[in-house]
Amino acid sequence: MAEITAETAAAREGSIRRPNPYREFFSRLFREKPLGAIGAVVCLVFLFAGIFADVIAPYGFNQIMPINRMKPPSWQFWFGTDNLGRDIFSRILYGARLSVIIGLSAALLATIISVALGIITGYLGGKVDMLIQRFVDAWMSFPDIVILIVVVAVVGPGMPQVIGILGCLYGIAGSRIIRSAVLQVREQSYIHAAQSIGGGTPRILWRHVLPNVMPPVIVLFTTRVGAVILAEAALSFLGLGVPPPAPTWGGMLTGSARNYMYLAPWMALAPGICLTLVVFSINMFGDALRDLLDPRMRGHR
Amino acid sequence: MNVNRLRGLAGASALSLALASGVAFAQTKMETPKYGGTLEISTVYATISALSFDSYDWPWKHNHDTGAVYEQLFATDLSKAKSRGGKASFTADAYIPTDLIRGELAEKWEWKQNPLQLVINLRKGVMFPEKPGVMKARELVADDVVYAFKRMSTSPKATGGYFDYVKDVKAADTHTVVFDMKEFNAEWDYRFGYGYYSGIIPKEVVEAPNGGASNWKNINGTGPFKLTDYVQGNSNVYEKNPDYWDKETVDGKELKLPYVDKVVYRIIKDEATRVTALRTGKLDVMELVRWQDVETLKKSTPNLKWNKWLATSGTFLSMRVDQKPFDDIRVRRAMNFAINKQEIIKAYYNDNAELFAYPQHPEYGPYFQPLNEQPASVQELFKFDPAKAKKLLAEAGYPNGFTFKTQVCSCNADHMDLLPLISAYLEQVGVKMEIQPMEYAAFLSAMTTQTNTAGYFMNNGHTNPTTTIRKSFVPKQVWNPSQWNDPKLTARMEAVYKEPDETKRIAELRAMTTEMLDNAPYIWLPTPYVYTAWWPWVKGYEGELRAGAVRPGPIYARMWIDQDLKKKMGY
Amino acid sequence: MQGYILRRILALIPTLIFASFIVFITVRLIPGNIIDLMLSQNDVSASKQTREQLESLLGLDTPMYIQYFKWMGALLFQGSLGNSLWTNTPVMDEIMQRLPVTFELGIMALLVSLIVGIPIGVYAALKQDSTGDYILRTLSILALAIPGFWVGTLVMVFPSIWWGWSPSVRYVSFSQDPLAHLGQLAIPALILGKAFSAIIMRLTRTMMLEVLRQDYIRTARAKGLSVGTIVMRHALRNALIPVVTLVGLQAPLLFGGAVILEQIFVIPGMGLLLLEAVGSRDYPTITGVFLVIGVSVVLINLLVDMSYGFLDPKVRNR
Repeated sequence: MAEITAETAAAREGSIRRPNPYREFFSRLFREKPLGAIGAVVCLVFLFAGIFADVIAPYGFNQIMPINRMKPPSWQFWFGTDNLGRDIFSRILYGARLSVIIGLSAALLATIISVALGIITGYLGGKVDMLIQRFVDAWMSFPDIVILIVVVAVVGPGMPQVIGILGCLYGIAGSRIIRSAVLQVREQSYIHAAQSIGGGTPRILWRHVLPNVMPPVIVLFTTRVGAVILAEAALSFLGLGVPPPAPTWGGMLTGSARNYMYLAPWMALAPGICLTLVVFSINMFGDALRDLLDPRMRGHR
Repeated sequence: MNVNRLRGLAGASALSLALASGVAFAQTKMETPKYGGTLEISTVYATISALSFDSYDWPWKHNHDTGAVYEQLFATDLSKAKSRGGKASFTADAYIPTDLIRGELAEKWEWKQNPLQLVINLRKGVMFPEKPGVMKARELVADDVVYAFKRMSTSPKATGGYFDYVKDVKAADTHTVVFDMKEFNAEWDYRFGYGYYSGIIPKEVVEAPNGGASNWKNINGTGPFKLTDYVQGNSNVYEKNPDYWDKETVDGKELKLPYVDKVVYRIIKDEATRVTALRTGKLDVMELVRWQDVETLKKSTPNLKWNKWLATSGTFLSMRVDQKPFDDIRVRRAMNFAINKQEIIKAYYNDNAELFAYPQHPEYGPYFQPLNEQPASVQELFKFDPAKAKKLLAEAGYPNGFTFKTQVCSCNADHMDLLPLISAYLEQVGVKMEIQPMEYAAFLSAMTTQTNTAGYFMNNGHTNPTTTIRKSFVPKQVWNPSQWNDPKLTARMEAVYKEPDETKRIAELRAMTTEMLDNAPYIWLPTPYVYTAWWPWVKGYEGELRAGAVRPGPIYARMWIDQDLKKKMGY
Repeated sequence: MQGYILRRILALIPTLIFASFIVFITVRLIPGNIIDLMLSQNDVSASKQTREQLESLLGLDTPMYIQYFKWMGALLFQGSLGNSLWTNTPVMDEIMQRLPVTFELGIMALLVSLIVGIPIGVYAALKQDSTGDYILRTLSILALAIPGFWVGTLVMVFPSIWWGWSPSVRYVSFSQDPLAHLGQLAIPALILGKAFSAIIMRLTRTMMLEVLRQDYIRTARAKGLSVGTIVMRHALRNALIPVVTLVGLQAPLLFGGAVILEQIFVIPGMGLLLLEAVGSRDYPTITGVFLVIGVSVVLINLLVDMSYGFLDPKVRNR
């Protein structure tokens, strides 16, 4: 009997030693980083709002109701209506969807480029690294917006273009962070071990290097989402963002809203607040993530 | 010319007169102008810096930036302006009706037959002021006009054929210029009289060191102002030319022009900033206020004075007639029936638009034939009739509609707002539109290289009653987005240019306009109203904009500032 | 130290060559070329002949690589970026007029962000995890999240409606009226510095925390030195090295932010020039602006690298 008790106690102890990593992560997030947790929750709310915009939105995003031109917020129109009589609340919801699509896909593209470039240059080193690094230097010496202006002039405005450009832009810039992480991993003993038993380079990269640079990759991805959403808004301001009638927040913030800032301030207020709130939450969440996953990256952006 | 047409003509002119007096503000007796002060203006082209200071480079905006410095043979007769108690509003961009032309450098002119000649007597005593390092003060003579014409007509950037109607130009004596003509040209007064490429630039400026006439520091003309500073993307500063020849008679007294000491063009790209600058009195005049901003300004700044004018360009969705499905006139007419144009005026423009004002402008007098005088087949194009649209589409073989691409300039905020609206109407008859926004230069070049998509959303300037038809519907013209190509129409167009009798030209152009409206190469859309706003201390002004081809110089010379009033109002 | 600087400068050469490629090629990819734009300035169509004449007049009829070598040659041997295709004036002159304005705006924004960011960062580090620390960090992330053009528009529009006041739209140069000039740049500099000060604050805080944990600080504390002395004499100096790196890395951000703010506040700097040049397809101007911005950033980073030598003795001996 005594033995059995001891056994179960040991089993219990074992189960405590092998906790669910996700649950542990989230409990740490909520315990240690309450602000980051709030950020994550806000992001999730917007994510769901975007996904279920069709269901939630009371009106279509381009449903023009001339009689309801520039109505202030009310029970019928929660966030008011714009100069064409479109419901701003509905447009915000559909806009959340676009922001999610643009933010996630451009950040994903950026991360893939960063990882590919970072791992290849960091692991291989040598002349290739030196050449690519000089290119990255040159690339990074141009301001994002300057490159964006010129490139959008080349390919024309539009959602795929915006995603592609922002992805490349942030991807090349971010490769530095991944590269430095790879440089550290490269000198670890398990890599040397893998090399000595004759593992092929692609296999080593995939099985050993990549998993060990995941924390900075995840953090990089998160911060990029916020940066992309902001950059799209800036492009909209210059008339180079995702074109109407697509209800992007950036577009809603910069189009007619600026003409009617005095008569209908809610036109700019709602998208402005949502944009700020989302970027704010993502950054909060990203900060917390960084502190929890990868303390080395503190201070980088 | 048949009787019906004549009656139409008479009706049209009567109506346009009625319109003009209806729009005219209460005519105030002209106050005696006071001298001095600086006029800060955001002009019609508030966002565009000078592209070149030499018309030899063939830039259209040259006249706008140097029109107060260089003078031309003709200008508008500003004594007939609303601000002088007259009726003319002078908002057309590049057209002066024959009865409103005044000789500027030309004192009188005369046509002679066999051989065909235009003899121009120049005004005496017109002086080029001294410009250190460029030229000494001297009188303008016939040789200057000959020089300017020869230089312009041989510019490598000149539009082919632009001055071909002229055989030769000679100076008969110091103040007489003789144009030997190959043939008559309906636009003779426009092309080298008051047009975009008509400024008289003296030889000394062209030959000046450091870039000649293209360097702003060198330019020097006989006009009311001198250009004294220029910052690209920010401002052009003009100072009074004390030696200017022209005078104005007010209450029997002769007053030397110009009245103000300085005129400053402010280039402000950002619309919100522009409106703010007007509101806080940092601008005295804003020549172009979009109707979207008028509501706010009237509420926040009730002291401003206003002039409302009809845009000098037509808005439309062009359909390429050399491609399916728009090669079928039934499809093109169906597209027109599918759009509720009245509702667009109400819902989108908030009543700030006119249903019918293109290709001819209501200000073109007899050239303009109002909608209610057009044949029924033209009138019905402006009525919303989705059932008929569907029927026509079915007849043309598109019972389930089709999909087409439309290019639009992302630089035009109005168009970017309006196009989704059009798209929503078309969807109701089963036609789907893919919107392809482009940045300005790329957009423009799609049309000029004839690589534009089936749909092309734009606005096109009226220019003048002849050009508006020629540039839009004659093949190989760069502003012909529908790629219209009808040899019969082209031949008629050529004949119009050679026709010396204006009455005959008017009748023919009216007929051609009606025919083109009926052919529906475009979805004809309403023409918006635009506003000009100025502070009450700006006097001698009722919103006049152009005294030639986009040339406001002579108008600014006649505006004055009531500085006491300005102070009293706290600015 | 000299060897280090020399190596750094040599490493710049390939970077600059890449930069010139990027600039030259990207610009020429833009559709809607200048010929079309020039020809459509007037309403009458141009014949084929005029088009070819124009092309050779503008030097656009030679293959791109020849254009590139001509361009580089003129730049290296004559310091010329060519003439503007529209105004026919040297691009270099125009840029030299604009560059100081944008630099000034950038430096003012930088000053703002350093003055705001560093003390707050130090404070937040010293009071780690206090309510004040939380509030300041939250505010800093908020400052990062608000788009600059939005704040710019608010500042432009609302004061004019409420009090009839607005920032000046008349650009005055420093030589004309130094005070008015600085006053004019102050508001955009504040807005531009907003995001940047948040970044600096966050980095200062992190670095201070790390430095404060070091042994020598603990020793200093044990010796009974006051917090102020420790921060000023030991901690800050070490914590600032990465902050200086950051200044170099973020230099493009200052240039970039200027594009939008120059437009809102009507400041004739590089950003406005670029927007105009792209709009009118003035290739020499676009390439010139693009290149000068890139080279400026590269040089700023070089300066930053060299300044380590003064801040950090370890680098000096490398």
